[in-house]
Amino acid sequence: MTTQMSYQIGDTLPEIVTPAIDRMRIAYMTVSMRDPNLVHLEDDYAAKAGLPSVIAHGTFAVSHLGAAVSRAVGVDALTQFRVDLVAPVFPGDVLRTEATVTGVETGDGGTVVSVKLSATKADGTRVARGTAAFREPAAA
Amino acid sequence: MAVVVGHRFPEREFYVDPVRVEEFVFALGVDPEPGYRAEIGAPVPPGFLMYVTTYGADPVHDALEFDLLRTVFGGVDEEFLAPVRLGDRLTVRPRISDITEKSGGSGRLTFVEVTTEYLLGDGTVAVRERSTIVQRG
Repeated sequence: MTTQMSYQIGDTLPEIVTPAIDRMRIAYMTVSMRDPNLVHLEDDYAAKAGLPSVIAHGTFAVSHLGAAVSRAVGVDALTQFRVDLVAPVFPGDVLRTEATVTGVETGDGGTVVSVKLSATKADGTRVARGTAAFREPAAA
Repeated sequence: MAVVVGHRFPEREFYVDPVRVEEFVFALGVDPEPGYRAEIGAPVPPGFLMYVTTYGADPVHDALEFDLLRTVFGGVDEEFLAPVRLGDRLTVRPRISDITEKSGGSGRLTFVEVTTEYLLGDGTVAVRERSTIVQRG
């Protein structure tokens, strides 16, 4: 993949605005993950957990934040990736990602760029935050 | 708590099945790279390799005697040490690496950290993952 040649602290990676995380997407995630938890599929079950409806898997916010980095620099450039989930995602929610460069370190192995990550809903509720690091390709 | 810190689960093989990755990307609705195709040899989207997906949630949660109704996924920290490709057969090696209890405004919380290593066929550790599961009450 081609990528920006040099990152500076404060730079941002292009945001991702996700499609609405509807019940069909949640069902596909359940299938892909072989997830046995009915809290993602049945409202009655979710109600027993005190939730107003089913909730989306944590992998949505995690993976959308991952995609915010991998779409910019390529999957193989990623060296580290951490996401903490801080609020549930419900059917119909749309997430918006933010990724901001916080560090650029050049050593023998090349340049490693650190970013901080955040995913928020349309109403501004933050659902996940994290960090990632990726290798910057050597200048041509 | 049925298991203790250091508990190791038996190794399991995980085939990085392009069909499952295709389902995963369809669920997300966002390609991990522009023009991505879930076919043999493609890179694995960030977020796909998680112990829940690769090992199966049941053996881990059963061992913890966790009630799914009171359990949420807290987060994940991944180190990518070597590339993994669709079509690879990985060895998945989870263990319980930390258990902490906290009392907060909403009552008692138990945080369980599962550290999972994903090994390539030649024994190289390709990914090291630390997942946190939180149980209320």
